[in-house]
Amino acid sequence: MTAIKVENLVKTYTTYKRGSGFKETVKSFFKREKVQINAVDDISFEIEQGSICGILGPNGAGKSTAIKMLCGALFPTSGNIDVMGYSPARDRMKYVQRIGAVFGQRSQLIWDIPPVDSFAMNKAIYGISDGDYKRRLDEMTELFDVGEVIHKPTRVLSLGERMKCEFIMAMLHSPEIVFLDEPTIGLDVIAKNKIREVVSEMNSKGTTFILTTHDLEDVEQLADNVIIINHGKKVFDDTLSGLKNILGSKKIVELTLTEPFGGSEINGAKLIGRDNELNISLEVDTEKQPITDFLKSLTDHVSFKDISVRELPMDMIITRIYSE
Amino acid sequence: MMNFLRHKFEMCKAVAFVTYKEWSAYRTHSLVSVFVGPVYFVVQYFIWTAVYGDSSTLGGMEFQQTIRYFGASALIGYLTMDFADWNLQMLVQSGKFLTFTLRPMHHRFFALSQKIGHRVLGFFFEFLPCLLIFSLLFGLDMIPQHMGWTVLSVAFAFLMNFYVNYCLGMTAFYFVQANGIRVVYQLLGNIFSGALIPLSFFPEAVQRIMMFLPFQYTNYIPAMVWTGSSSIGEMGLTIPQAVLYQGIAVIFTALLSEVIYRSSIKRFTAVGA
Amino acid sequence: MRYLKIYMTCLHTAFSRAAAYRLDFVLGNLITLLSNIIFPLVTVLIYANGAKFPGWTMWEVLLIQSVFSMSNAVASMICGSILWVTMDHVQSGRFETVLLKPLSPLFYIAAANFDTGSIGLFLGGLAMTIISASFTKSSGAWGIILFLLLFLSGAAVMCGLDLIMAAISFKWVGNSRIPEIFESIKEFGKYPLGIFPKAVQVMSALIIPVAVVGFFPASALLGRLDMYSLLSVIPCMLFFIFGIWLYNRMIKAYEGVGG
Repeated sequence: MTAIKVENLVKTYTTYKRGSGFKETVKSFFKREKVQINAVDDISFEIEQGSICGILGPNGAGKSTAIKMLCGALFPTSGNIDVMGYSPARDRMKYVQRIGAVFGQRSQLIWDIPPVDSFAMNKAIYGISDGDYKRRLDEMTELFDVGEVIHKPTRVLSLGERMKCEFIMAMLHSPEIVFLDEPTIGLDVIAKNKIREVVSEMNSKGTTFILTTHDLEDVEQLADNVIIINHGKKVFDDTLSGLKNILGSKKIVELTLTEPFGGSEINGAKLIGRDNELNISLEVDTEKQPITDFLKSLTDHVSFKDISVRELPMDMIITRIYSE
Repeated sequence: MMNFLRHKFEMCKAVAFVTYKEWSAYRTHSLVSVFVGPVYFVVQYFIWTAVYGDSSTLGGMEFQQTIRYFGASALIGYLTMDFADWNLQMLVQSGKFLTFTLRPMHHRFFALSQKIGHRVLGFFFEFLPCLLIFSLLFGLDMIPQHMGWTVLSVAFAFLMNFYVNYCLGMTAFYFVQANGIRVVYQLLGNIFSGALIPLSFFPEAVQRIMMFLPFQYTNYIPAMVWTGSSSIGEMGLTIPQAVLYQGIAVIFTALLSEVIYRSSIKRFTAVGA
Repeated sequence: MRYLKIYMTCLHTAFSRAAAYRLDFVLGNLITLLSNIIFPLVTVLIYANGAKFPGWTMWEVLLIQSVFSMSNAVASMICGSILWVTMDHVQSGRFETVLLKPLSPLFYIAAANFDTGSIGLFLGGLAMTIISASFTKSSGAWGIILFLLLFLSGAAVMCGLDLIMAAISFKWVGNSRIPEIFESIKEFGKYPLGIFPKAVQVMSALIIPVAVVGFFPASALLGRLDMYSLLSVIPCMLFFIFGIWLYNRMIKAYEGVGG
């Protein structure tokens, strides 16, 4: 069943050119130059109930604007959004009762008191019954393993602990759809993994998740479907395996060499970047050769003093998709 | 209907309780009020003792009434103050207001509930200690003659202050420099709310104009009602009249805040933050 | 000498900053001026209602209050920001950055945060002083010399109060209401001293000498200064020195604990 249906969604901002300096400011007070920006430019997609959909894109691509419209916090300039029969911005009060949202950068917890008190406040706001509340809270605290943490004042918690509590806060009222905006930003690997684990767990029980991120790992480990937005336009919309088919399984290896290397390829891996004579990056297709094999043979070809292996960066993925 | 109201009440209670807890961490800060309030009062006492000299009434007020006025004015301040304006401005400017659009609760109701929690704290840690100091240490009779009217008037002042401040806070949706508007309002408020000097000392024309401005309804009117004045200011308002005007002012401001809120939300959901 | 040079450089920076944000500078100064000269309105209204402070004309009382405002402005230019900066730095745990400078921390904070926002208040206070003085009978050159002496002492008291409050903020971390205590104590300096009972008079002349801020210098201008009052210059200096000592002591304690 389709949970979310978006048709020809457009969001246009009008901003004004702002002069600097006193004279310019006064001038702009009377006559301002309008600039139209299409943050979201004619996007359509559907998201299935019970799935996890990742919305990807570089910073400023329009994904936050899109998710704000999906949450009902922002009116679309034109186009239609239908989430479980609601028009989010128009039916906001009724609609938000049934969704949850975690905005990585904007905390809902209250700084000076323990999270459990903030939870109790949301219990009343969402009108959760005592029994449901207790059951849900126990379940969530156990999943996140934060039984003691929720009784400490929020200000003393680590970023990871705080984020887990943000999740609990957003999911206490058992929302059917949960929006996550950059949920793992700035977290360490352990906290990231825990959060991903819980998201999968909740998803297996039927909750639909929509997450925006620019961390490819989030998507790889969670999402069923991927939508990629760039410059306000949808550039990709398919399953995760569809994305992998296009990209293959590529990794980037960055090397700091001890002596210059002049070739364009090392052991089948293409040279894709050269910052200077000694700093180069290579693209390794791990389907053709496992990364461990590549690394083992690397020392035979060049000598280096530093090495790092990472995922394809977002901008590269997007250029790839364009060129396909 | 019953269920709806009960849910509202539960929400209000929960938010108020959380706010109470949140600010409890700072309750030693309230001790500042317990020092500052009486000090200001003492200074006022000596000023007016000197000024009254042998005249029996000034600005239509007797000496004892003037002294009680300043006591009441301070106490009302503890019961009705808030910083809904600053709070909302910060939420808008930091973008955190977004999280409130995602909750099934009107933000103004949320803020009012917060104020209730905050003022319950103020009641225990500012109002009560100062009331005791005024009554027992300074020997002032602070019990209002018309308890019912006084309670009603203070309640109106509570709401008035809140709605006005909320309106001021909402200017942050429109202006980057919302701070300036707040500061100017505060400046005028300092002069015309009556906390500095009872408005009956002002020329009659000023008093008439003040009937149409919010300032006097937050402090001067309730403080006069508290002192049991039978005729307030040059216009010689009776207590029921004064409270009625206050009620009208509250309703008007509440409606105004609703109008501004609707257009603010429209703007917020159109532009984002 | 080195300190004077540094101070001049900081002063220069403060003024170029103010010049860069002219509009903010003007508006900020205007607001500070207005919010600080509301209180004489009470005096005006009292006299307008036919009452008076016994033995004082309206312009004489306004002279006290104008001198008070001017003194307040001088103190807040020199020391005003110490309280805010200390409070902020201690709470956020950034006070160490001050200790890293090869200067006396107190001097560094005061110099680096010279408050140009009170210039308007100073000019306003000066204008009001001149106007008020023109409506009262003045005591001539001798009175002006005494006035200057007492005015400087009063400004020292204000600075001393600032420093004591700043010192308290090391202990009472994060209490943004400390300045209110400061403001309330200053109230005793804004009116003719005679209206207060003897005990309060002694306190505000000798112990926390706020009477020296407005009342004594204005009396000197009016030629009605009791010569014994000059003795209060001594507690003023002691008060100022005490402020510096207390603040520095708190810094020592802070270094010991390390935030």
